[in-house]
Amino acid sequence: MNSKSGEKLISVYWFTILILVAGGIVAMVYVFYGVQYDVREIEGSIMINQISDCISRKGVLNEDIFEKSYQDNFLKNCHLNFNVEDENNWKENLQYYFEIKIFEINDLVNPKVDFNHGSLNLVSSCEIASEDYEKLAKCVEGKFYSIGKNNEQYLIKILSIIRKSEKNVKS
Amino acid sequence: MKKRGEILIENIIFIVLNLIFLTILVLFLARQGEGAVILEENYAKEIALMIDSAKPIMTLRLDMSDARELAEKNGIDFKEVVKINKNVVTVKLSKDSGYSYSFFNNVDVSKPFPVANEDDYIIKINGYKNE
Repeated sequence: MNSKSGEKLISVYWFTILILVAGGIVAMVYVFYGVQYDVREIEGSIMINQISDCISRKGVLNEDIFEKSYQDNFLKNCHLNFNVEDENNWKENLQYYFEIKIFEINDLVNPKVDFNHGSLNLVSSCEIASEDYEKLAKCVEGKFYSIGKNNEQYLIKILSIIRKSEKNVKS
Repeated sequence: MKKRGEILIENIIFIVLNLIFLTILVLFLARQGEGAVILEENYAKEIALMIDSAKPIMTLRLDMSDARELAEKNGIDFKEVVKINKNVVTVKLSKDSGYSYSFFNNVDVSKPFPVANEDDYIIKINGYKNE
């Protein structure tokens, strides 16, 4: 009798272990596949590349960038479209932002050109760049040197910010 | 003799239950990786990033063999899997789902189409929209 009840106890114990193992595997799979692919950093880098191509062609600065009208119509001039899908209330809140600063090489404090487009509210996210706050917008910075028509040297700094948190970070 | 028979049946039931349990677990794991929701997200984001990086008159060719297999299994025509409306890519691999992701490159994109008898999709960038 003792041996039979012992066997039953082992069976119950065995199935409890199986259920625990199964639960663990299901939880791990859920965590692994539940994470969304965060492509915002790549998206931000691509945006910087596209903006760079508009500002400097073959290493020579596009002189139009000094004109206010060119800066105001930069989205059109640089073939950028900030419209997004009509989900998560995105239509009412811009999901993109970029900032361009052009410095003359002998004055790296006061930019000769400084303008931006997109949602200014996203800038605050860059100051809290931490893994704990990954739901905030993603900031990417890029800089490069370029020369003007008369060989003057410029430093160009571009900051791009992509939000789209709902589709890149697990809620 | 009776005791031996009981032990045999108990053991067989025990082994069968274990096998059922392991089979369910393996099937669950195998299905997770090829789920429509995951593939839709992957492809929508991949296509959007490809278009963002593209320049006019480029032709993008993307291997979508996984998507084709799943779409056919779910009764979706492979020609209808990828759609681009304005600057939003939508990938649909089952009747109840679909995933959209936008791109910022303001280009005119032809209607995406699959290569005949192949698993690849073709996306043509015609030019910039405001030109």
